[in-house]
Amino acid sequence: MAAVVEAKNITKAFGGVKAVDDVTVSVEAGEIHAVVGENGAGKSTLMRILSGIEFPDSGQVMVEGKEIENSAKDSIDAGISLVHQELSLVPEMTVAENIYLGGFPTSAGFTKRKEMKKFAQETLDEIGVQVDIDERISRLSVALRQFVEIARAIARKPKVLILDEPTASLTPAETDYLLSMLERLAKQGLAIIYISHRIPEVFRLCHNVTILRDGKLVYVSEIKKTTPQEVINQMVGRELKLDLESRRDAKPGDVVLSAVGIKAPGVNDVDLEVRAGEIVGLGGLVGAGRTELIRAIIGADNKTAGNVHITVDGKRQQITSYMSAMRNGVAYVPEERRVDGLAMTMSVTDNVYLPNRKDLAASGVINPAKAAKVAKELADRVGLRPPEIKREAGQYSGGNQQKIVIAKWLHKRPSFVVLDEPTRGVDVGAKAEIHRLVKELADQGTAVLVVSSDLPELLELSDVIHVVRDGKIMGTLDGAKADEKQVMGLAAGEKLVEA
Amino acid sequence: MTQQDTIQLGGGELSLWGKIKLTIARRTEGRGVALLAIILTVALLTEPLVFTAYQVTLGRIALIGLVALGLTAVILMGQLDLSVASTLAASGVVLAIIPDLTLGIIAALLTGLLVGAINAFGVAIIGINSFIWTLGMLFFLRGVALVISNEAPVKLTNADAGIAFGQPLIGPITPRILIFILVFIAIQVFVSRVKMGREFYAVGGNPQAAKDAGIPVKRRIFTGFMISGFVSALAGVINTLERTAADPIAGSTVLLASFAAAIIGGNYLKGGRGSIVGTLIGAGALGVLQVTLTLSGVQVPVQQIFIGLVLLLAVTTDPNNLRAVLSSIRSARSSRVKVQKPASEPNKSTAS
Amino acid sequence: MSKNEPITQINAMAQAPEEQPKQKSRRGVEWFAENGIFVFTAVLILSAAIFVDGFASLQNITDVFHRAAPIGIVAVGMTFVVISGNYLDLSVVAQVATAAVIMIAVSNEYGYFAAVLAAMLAALIYAIVNGVAVGYFKANAVIVTLSTTYVGLGLLRLLSGGSIFFGPPDGALAQFGAGKLGPVPYSALVLVAMTLILAFVLNRTNFGFTVRSFGINERATRLGGTNTGLVIIGAFLVTSLSAMIAGFVLAAFSNTAVSAMSTGYDFQALAAIIVGGTSVFGGKGSVLRTLLGVIFVSVLSNVLVLLNIGFGYQQMALGVLIALAVTVDALARRAGKK
Repeated sequence: MAAVVEAKNITKAFGGVKAVDDVTVSVEAGEIHAVVGENGAGKSTLMRILSGIEFPDSGQVMVEGKEIENSAKDSIDAGISLVHQELSLVPEMTVAENIYLGGFPTSAGFTKRKEMKKFAQETLDEIGVQVDIDERISRLSVALRQFVEIARAIARKPKVLILDEPTASLTPAETDYLLSMLERLAKQGLAIIYISHRIPEVFRLCHNVTILRDGKLVYVSEIKKTTPQEVINQMVGRELKLDLESRRDAKPGDVVLSAVGIKAPGVNDVDLEVRAGEIVGLGGLVGAGRTELIRAIIGADNKTAGNVHITVDGKRQQITSYMSAMRNGVAYVPEERRVDGLAMTMSVTDNVYLPNRKDLAASGVINPAKAAKVAKELADRVGLRPPEIKREAGQYSGGNQQKIVIAKWLHKRPSFVVLDEPTRGVDVGAKAEIHRLVKELADQGTAVLVVSSDLPELLELSDVIHVVRDGKIMGTLDGAKADEKQVMGLAAGEKLVEA
Repeated sequence: MTQQDTIQLGGGELSLWGKIKLTIARRTEGRGVALLAIILTVALLTEPLVFTAYQVTLGRIALIGLVALGLTAVILMGQLDLSVASTLAASGVVLAIIPDLTLGIIAALLTGLLVGAINAFGVAIIGINSFIWTLGMLFFLRGVALVISNEAPVKLTNADAGIAFGQPLIGPITPRILIFILVFIAIQVFVSRVKMGREFYAVGGNPQAAKDAGIPVKRRIFTGFMISGFVSALAGVINTLERTAADPIAGSTVLLASFAAAIIGGNYLKGGRGSIVGTLIGAGALGVLQVTLTLSGVQVPVQQIFIGLVLLLAVTTDPNNLRAVLSSIRSARSSRVKVQKPASEPNKSTAS
Repeated sequence: MSKNEPITQINAMAQAPEEQPKQKSRRGVEWFAENGIFVFTAVLILSAAIFVDGFASLQNITDVFHRAAPIGIVAVGMTFVVISGNYLDLSVVAQVATAAVIMIAVSNEYGYFAAVLAAMLAALIYAIVNGVAVGYFKANAVIVTLSTTYVGLGLLRLLSGGSIFFGPPDGALAQFGAGKLGPVPYSALVLVAMTLILAFVLNRTNFGFTVRSFGINERATRLGGTNTGLVIIGAFLVTSLSAMIAGFVLAAFSNTAVSAMSTGYDFQALAAIIVGGTSVFGGKGSVLRTLLGVIFVSVLSNVLVLLNIGFGYQQMALGVLIALAVTVDALARRAGKK
């Protein structure tokens, strides 16, 4: 049977790094094809190319043997429909209108509402989702919105349906329903590409699996001929060259951070402790709720329940807001440094000055010489290159920008440091330096909490690893003994593999 | 296959009361209705004349409401048009300085369309914040009105036509009220039934999604600003005809009142949420308020204070903003509430 | 983490290496946005001196100073609100008039000290209402200050009965208003002093620092341990206090006060700020540049008056000036992003 959709030798680079490297995938009618890989393996880029949102540097996308030009409209016309990972619905329009957004049936400019509602209802009936089509999206649950997204994709009568992590926000019952719905659609002849980290789902649903790693295709197999263990091995893949030399000897002291019963959007009742001189790693997949968890702990976002305490010099203080967290020596290196971390058009000195201004100028009047001296010291300490503290932060490369963000907090000698994806988008050299800094902090007795989707990094740094999934800690591993497969297994929803 | 065939997520059969509650929850006009109810009650108790002299009241609502209706089209897309009052003044003067009435009306309305197009150009093409760009337009047009009127009110050449225009057509319905009702119906139908108008909500609510779905966002912005410009010009024409003269500095309270009407009527300033009906309700509330105050013999400054307060209240009590404020208060408080767990239990989640 | 941020894009960012550090190439439009005002002011003054009769006279220069001073004081103060990324404070119109009326009406009865106290109280109320609504309730600054303008003017008209207040002709206020140092009236010295003080506050104090950094990146500023609501209130307070001093200066100059005396100050101040090169997008700008913008705008309107060009044309000119300045600013930003 001929392939409905075929991506041939697709290559796409972003500024020199190949996000997708010579990947070929083909899917037949009625087939459900899984594309799996770690965060950043290139899955989403590949799907964006298939759906015409991105253009490949080389290679072609064929639908039923015909090459399609690369535009979103061409892809849709050719029968490729993408269900976005992010929600692309209009909150204040009704379900029916969202299903037909941009293509309302009209006569003389007027929307044919009856017709639109009838079609929308038919589409929803087809996928078996009962929802009031006159309800506005903003009043629907996240799960229901996900189903409306799918209805919207189905309404275009596609030949190929691409779903990117569709179950991320669904309960088990809803996930169950979604999977059986996709099985039904495939039986009717739809080709489905299913992107997921969740191995059990892949094994229940899919016929074939393609594994990407670092942009390259590393493994293709029929599901029947492989095992979950094999898939996880291939996802992680790289030679385990865990350098034991690079691990430090942890001597954890007293508990510095204790968080109990934390609840927040995306976080479901988590307890967490971090001791002085200890690096605790939070592993898991993108969207597992790790960022939400740490932001709720330090008060950067609102939490709905829970207590957080910081103990410094034997004094136990409650953290009720981000300001109180800062007063008690919490330092936060956020995930999105361009948005949360740095004022890009301010100088390095100014960026470093921001969190330290009360220390450096108790009277409120800035002493530029002092500010510059401190900035210079910190720039040297983190190895900023070039160490020109008058330069705008935005003129530095990603790795150096991250060093500036870390430098901001070093002056205060924080008691508890939280780093969210500290080396994302950072070159190898800067990565090693950032790792050195983090270890140095812990050696000096600071309590450190690191969120990382980069498994080798997590394993190298952490003394204890908590793996988070669906806003909960699914398992806790000893950092010295854990391996990538165990972390990935927990993160992807497999049982803990016996080591 | 043993799997269930459908999945029900929310919804389901509702009792009558449930349906009523659902309908209320779906609407955005809540604050406007509440304000209208309060004002009507107070008016009923203190100045029942407001209801006997309903022609005056209706006329006042039409005066405030007309500009607000056009403005709503722009606000739905998350933009603002601060130039509405100056457009009203300038187009009124344009009408008065042209001797031929028909030609004058056409020229005045074209002025409004042109202003709308220039506003949209700055916002959609150059990419300037609509508050600042239309604020510039506000002052520019005030200058234009002063220049073409020689800085003095201009008498309408055909004053008889103006006087005739002010007379009621049927019952209490003057042409102004009739035009207001027609414009209300036209814009209401436009944003609720016409494809282009419905898409305003998409442009304001999720611009990226709108673009991805193939909606020409920039063209919609042009349409919205031109509606606003045209309706403001129409209000200017009506004012000039009714007063048989054009005042180049007319409409200073129109700006305030029309924004107050649109915002208290539930139109979200960041776009995507609101309704024309809400604007109507808001205009109704403000109109009754003004007439009540006038009839009570309250001075003009007091009226300004009241309308200003309504606008301040409207813009600070937007449900979305309030929710964020309340949630941060709740979060700070939640920390102080004891959790149902032993708070000090070492080694609980740390594996060792 | 932003809920709106498309997750796929984050993934793409993770794979894509950081874009190359921006080259410091000075594109024409960027240079123009930064330095155009210096050239224009110089050209304007020079050509006015050469071609416009009566411009270079001592009397006229004093006149320009007199007119520029109150608007300039408002503008240097309002620069704080603009730099904090909150567009502008329209209510300065009401605030200037309120301060002027209080100054004369209250001092006639109770003396200057009471008048200053009362005016400060009024300024504080304005700052708190505007600042809380914008900083804590996240309401749109333009709409908030539009409404406080009307409430404030309404209250002023109500309380003052719409009447004009006169100060005693030989009072200290009147003497200050008429006082000069050479051709420079005291009011202009107040403007210069305010500019220097506010430039110091903006550039060399922690408060000014947070105003600037808030305008560039609100979230990073909050995560740097700043109570951002207080920063906004502070920015509005600086504006309110400046408007108050402008009101005093205005009252001193004319020795009268009436509720309608400061019409158009909102817009002229904004024009001066934007023309001076402070960005309406927030973050970028300075008080000294605003002073330059004030000089430009004041000289321009003086020239228009001398050339017998009507008030309407002046308004149009200001409108066009703002449109041009924001366009240049927007284009420069776009060029800077590429």
